Amino acid sequence: MDGRVSLNQVAMHFGDFTAIQPTTLEIESGEFFSFLGPSGCGKTTLLNIISGFLSPSEGDVAIGDSDMTRVPVNRRPTAMIFQNLALFPLMSVYENIEFGLEVRGIDRRRRRQKADELLALVALEGSGHKPVGDLSGGQKQRIAIARALAVEPRVLLLDEPLSALDLKLRQHMRTELKAIQRKTGITFIYITHDQGEALTMSDRVAVMSAGRIEQVADPATLYRQPASDFVASFVGENNRFSGRVMKIDGDTVTLDASLTVPVAGRAIAGTDALTVGAPATLYVRPEQWRVGAADDTRLPLAGVIENEHFEGAWLTLDVALAQGPRVRVHVAQSTAQESPDLSLSAGMSCRLDYTPARAIVLPAEVGEEVGEEGAHVATTV
Amino acid sequence: MWRQLCDRFGMPLGMAVVALMGIWLILMVLLPQWQMIDYSLHPSLLPAEQGGEKDVWTLANYATFFQNEIHLSIFFKTIWSSVLVTALTLAVSYPLAYYLAKVARPGQAALCLLLLIIPFWINEILRTFAWYIIFAFRGPLNELLFALGLIDRPIRFLNGDIGVLVGMVYAYILFMVFPLYNAIESLDRNQIRAARDLGAGWIRTHRRIVIPHAKPGIATGCIMTFMLAAGSYAVPALLGAPGSRWFTQIIYNWFFEGGDWNQGAAYAFLLLALCIVFVTLVMRLFKVGLGDIAR
Ligand SMILES: Nc1ncnc2c1ncn2[C@@H]1O[C@H](COP(=O)(O)OP(=O)(O)O)[C@@H](O)[C@H]1O
Ligand SMILES: [Mg+2]
Repeated sequence: MDGRVSLNQVAMHFGDFTAIQPTTLEIESGEFFSFLGPSGCGKTTLLNIISGFLSPSEGDVAIGDSDMTRVPVNRRPTAMIFQNLALFPLMSVYENIEFGLEVRGIDRRRRRQKADELLALVALEGSGHKPVGDLSGGQKQRIAIARALAVEPRVLLLDEPLSALDLKLRQHMRTELKAIQRKTGITFIYITHDQGEALTMSDRVAVMSAGRIEQVADPATLYRQPASDFVASFVGENNRFSGRVMKIDGDTVTLDASLTVPVAGRAIAGTDALTVGAPATLYVRPEQWRVGAADDTRLPLAGVIENEHFEGAWLTLDVALAQGPRVRVHVAQSTAQESPDLSLSAGMSCRLDYTPARAIVLPAEVGEEVGEEGAHVATTV
Repeated sequence: MWRQLCDRFGMPLGMAVVALMGIWLILMVLLPQWQMIDYSLHPSLLPAEQGGEKDVWTLANYATFFQNEIHLSIFFKTIWSSVLVTALTLAVSYPLAYYLAKVARPGQAALCLLLLIIPFWINEILRTFAWYIIFAFRGPLNELLFALGLIDRPIRFLNGDIGVLVGMVYAYILFMVFPLYNAIESLDRNQIRAARDLGAGWIRTHRRIVIPHAKPGIATGCIMTFMLAAGSYAVPALLGAPGSRWFTQIIYNWFFEGGDWNQGAAYAFLLLALCIVFVTLVMRLFKVGLGDIAR
């Protein structure tokens, strides 16, 4: 069963509007692959192209070794879990699950047997005769999965399937989806605007913005080595400092970012992408800061705490640097407890530092100017 | 309902609304119908004899119908033709309603609906006359078929049932399209997509997903079309062959040619009663309740 999905120069236009820029991508068989991006970036459109609901304006789609571009939706080896699940409300749970089998002309006894197996897989044994209206949100979710798996798809497509559930259930279903994917070995293509979902479940994630894939990588790489400004700001939180390249030394790049001190970080795209004098951006994650007392002059940057929020495992501080830009800082609860003389409340002064080897530098994107104020916090939930 | 009315309009106005509804029902519906029932249960008498000893309660008017083979056969032919009209109207309307509800873009759908409605601004008799002209022996339809080489001599459309069938489908199509459109419109598009995605072809998708969902709309449309067709007078009178009469024409004859209102009233009630029985049976058969239809 080859669940490899290949997109070759796939593009989609709606009139003058380009929803998907030409995209080439290979999704491995048995992979849990996510498309992550803000609402309206073209995720559903791309999924519809893979499932066959839309045919691409350009390019081809292949599953395994067979070209699927001209194959209609009901003949593709894919199954979709819809954003609103789209269970058939006039049918029982059994009828829903057996629908795809009925289409394939499988006899009644084997259909029921298969449906029972799937109900066991999604831990809903014995609810086959219930009308779907009687199920809870989480149960409907599982029936939708069972219904899609019944047709033994090579690729399962999931369009923000957890967005209708409450937080607790959502987190539980993440684990469950991942477990089902491991057990069945089917390729999962998962769409979400929730980076938590994408990062926890996926083997690889494609980050999308305005119809373009910005980066395809495993979750850790995406977080540690974002390849573009969009990814650096969209995945996790980041403090951005715009400036000009002053010095390149090995893979350490020093920027003049209108702060009192030069700042430095690792060049992500390789140093050849950067030239001395050219604009570039430094990214420091909130948890990479080291915070010290106001008189701790070993730390180069001085600032005043504007806000502090207690978040349980960590403390979030908004610190106005002496030069003006405001940065977001996470202080681990353990650090705060180890240094009781450090007082971290609004209005207090403090000093900051970070480890250049863990901060990163990207060349400024075309059209991006060096900001006057030098830095701003990119905050994304 | 009383509670809702009072909440909305206040007690005095609520009572006024209910009173008006009551008056309307009694004056416009119950009294005339009662009068007709009364007529149907009395023999036809000269004015002088009314109230006299011959003026008794009797079922004789109803018995006449069951003893008259021609009337019986016309009655069943009317029911059968109305079923045929209903089926044809459904067959024409379903694809149209599906297209309007799920395929057409909003602008296209609005335009199509407008085009459907405009002809209905014209009086039914005039529209039927238009068909009369089209179907005429030397009319445009025959000319067209002749010009296309499909026929070598004109067809008498108005001699058989074709004229009546077409005329009625045309006359009542809106009563079918609108309930269907409303029902299909409310179906979640993802339901159709899910069925397709699970491998269903178009026929199965309609049979298992769209039609079951639209069933109340189909039932409403069919009942309206059937009742209208069975009770239609103008279309069969204009487009039907002289020999093939509709049951309403018999009723008309009793009233206005035979001058026997009592007999006519009995026939009218028979038509009403048997239509209701028939509709109820069909609803049983398709497992739709009155509640579904009022939805
Ligand atoms: N059928 C369509 N016609 C025109 N524009 C469309 C159509 N479908 C989607 N779009 C546009 O394409 C963009 C991407 O949509 P979509 O793929 O649904 O985004 P996402 O799922 O990432 O939120 C949106 O700007 C949307 O308005
Ligand atoms: Mg979407």
